[in-house]
Amino acid sequence: MLEVVNLTKKYGKTLAADGIGFTVPDGKIGILLGPNGAGKSTVIKSIAGLLRYQGSIRIQGLDAGTVEAKKCFAYVPELPYMYEALTVREHIEFIVRAYGREGWEEEARALFDRFELTDKQYKLGNELSKGMMQKVSICCALIIRPKVILLDEPMVGLDPAAIKELKTMLLELRDEGCTVLISTHMLEMVKELWDVTFVMNKGHILGTYVKEALGDEDLEELYFTVTGQAEQSS
Amino acid sequence: MDTFWFLYRKLLINRVKIAVRKPVTYVYLALLLFYFFVLPASLRLMVEQFGIGSPEGFAGVLTVLAIWLIPANLIAYAKRKGLMYRNSDVHFLFPAPVGPKQVLLYAYLKTLFVQVIMNLFAIVCGFRMFHVEGWRLAVYFLFSIFAENLLEGGIMVLLYGSEKLGERQRRVVVAVAYALAAVLVLMGIAAYLQGGLRLGTVAAFLHSDRIQMVPLVGWYIGVVHLLFTEATAANVAGTVCYLLLLAGVVAAAWRMKCTGAYYEDAVKFAEDYEEVLESRRQGNVQKRLGRKQKFGKAHVRWRGKGAAALFYRQLLEYKKNRFFLFDFHTVISLLIGAGLAYLYAREGGFGFMEGYKAFVMPVVSAYLIFVFNAFNGKWGKELASPYTYLIPDSPFRKLMGATMMQHVQSLVNGCLLILPGAVAMEIGTLCTVLSIVFYVELSANKLYALAVAEAVTGSTLGTMGRQMFHMLFHSIAIFVAVMGAMAGMLTGTVLTALVLMDVFLALITIVFLVIAMLNFYHMEAVR
Repeated sequence: MLEVVNLTKKYGKTLAADGIGFTVPDGKIGILLGPNGAGKSTVIKSIAGLLRYQGSIRIQGLDAGTVEAKKCFAYVPELPYMYEALTVREHIEFIVRAYGREGWEEEARALFDRFELTDKQYKLGNELSKGMMQKVSICCALIIRPKVILLDEPMVGLDPAAIKELKTMLLELRDEGCTVLISTHMLEMVKELWDVTFVMNKGHILGTYVKEALGDEDLEELYFTVTGQAEQSS
Repeated sequence: MDTFWFLYRKLLINRVKIAVRKPVTYVYLALLLFYFFVLPASLRLMVEQFGIGSPEGFAGVLTVLAIWLIPANLIAYAKRKGLMYRNSDVHFLFPAPVGPKQVLLYAYLKTLFVQVIMNLFAIVCGFRMFHVEGWRLAVYFLFSIFAENLLEGGIMVLLYGSEKLGERQRRVVVAVAYALAAVLVLMGIAAYLQGGLRLGTVAAFLHSDRIQMVPLVGWYIGVVHLLFTEATAANVAGTVCYLLLLAGVVAAAWRMKCTGAYYEDAVKFAEDYEEVLESRRQGNVQKRLGRKQKFGKAHVRWRGKGAAALFYRQLLEYKKNRFFLFDFHTVISLLIGAGLAYLYAREGGFGFMEGYKAFVMPVVSAYLIFVFNAFNGKWGKELASPYTYLIPDSPFRKLMGATMMQHVQSLVNGCLLILPGAVAMEIGTLCTVLSIVFYVELSANKLYALAVAEAVTGSTLGTMGRQMFHMLFHSIAIFVAVMGAMAGMLTGTVLTALVLMDVFLALITIVFLVIAMLNFYHMEAVR
């Protein structure tokens, strides 16, 4: 479970996140939706421990800043950055050491197969295309068998086959009880995935929508109504 | 620490494996070995001339370095700078379940390899220039690798990783570091006022007891003096204070709570650093770490069309730059030019080489251009841009439009490098002009050699292959110029040699230029 309580973040005088609060339960896929500059990245980076903030973030009931919480948490940033001098396989090896996982080889082989990285595993980080880097980043996140996984615009740069594979994997993770939070502004990409959606704008959560409760209402229309972007575009 | 050791070891091994495949590595290695062994030997004469070729002199040099480096490091750590993080660390390391203090130490230890090399260099200098006994140097090496790193690492953890120090307290620490430096400077000024500007005054200041009473910096100086000079009450007291400080700092750093609040600043540093690296790759050497590059307002009157747009776009970019065409290379050119002039004037000539003094500036130019001029620069950026190929104009005009500003830049740098030396050596107007022409030609040659290398390697051999061919073609051009000079010397005077050297270089540069022009007919080279 991922709990964000009263998260506030200021950059100088700019309030990027103002008392944000939401919960994504175990076995659910949450979507953080919002236009550019809504504050999604601030929330994501705060959860990943990359920013100082006010409020509290809990992962599986533990303070997100603790080593114990980090052990069951995986993060896929929007832009993947590889160690230029590490091979794809060495990235995985480094991550399993950092997270203390053992018996990972078979799982790594399966992930490489699913994301078509088998023939790339001895390529160095600086020899990979952006799409390949994104695939490695996803594999590094999945190899630790996370209880909570955070993905920031995960589909950007992926080819259609990898997008399809990623969606399948996220649904599998959900079914295994993992908490998934995806930040995106591409509604089309997450239409078939979401269980709960948080619409953000200007540092606030404007609305929380649970799939079962939404009935026939279209998420896209709701999004435009809530953010006011429909009037702007028309 | 197993995770960090794995990362450190793998990165180091893989980097070495990559480096041995790059031809440029061997050039740098040769230079490094040259500096490592030849420099101490050549500086030895100067050291002996100044009368500091003794262990006391070595202690004096280390004292100067301490005065310079220790306050600077304190300031950097208090400002949460001075540790190098990359975006890959932010991606993989920061969210991982590893201790934030260990992440700090990992970044600190990244510099360990370079530190060991620098310390070995100091040992060689100490042995060859300052005649320090082997056992003292061995103790110094162990002290600098273990004690110094423990203390600096501890201070780094306390300052960089502290979550109790607020912005105001950090400013206080910075002010204290400046105060330490100011105290040392004031002591230096007082010594100057008492003894005048003489080497003896400087030595007395560097070896004085009072300097060893300044906390931290002075205590380190005390240790150095105890090691390399005889024991005094001041340096023994300084050493005891240093060791007590070391124990206190390590204990405090060990106990300090650190949950990773510094990650935000480290992320910002990593982003800035990658931005600077990317700018350098694209030929922009004016971007500085931690400072947003400021562009002034400027405008140009766009004249002509087609490839002229390339020239005016570059001109506009330069005009928006704070220092217009002038950059790091300009400063280096001026410093080396002035340095050569000073050396010539001080030595009163080159002895038996005096008859060949007109070749000194071209040789220095060739060395600087071959080794230090950027591989890419704005020209590399133009070559990598599809627009350069798509602009509807002739290849010759494109080439001129894209490189004209760099020729002007090399003319300025060439003048700054050559004129001071030429005046001091009195080599005559014609020789001076020919030397400047040589500099501009050779710089142009390096530009066009890149395009020739692009044409030869295409997209098949990658960056390493391109670099190798670039260096090969440029070396051939230098060889041709040398042949021209030798032909001139055999048939006539130094002037004839310089003329033929320029003519031969011009001919091969024109060949490169033509190949570079032909390269514009296809876009395979675009990366």
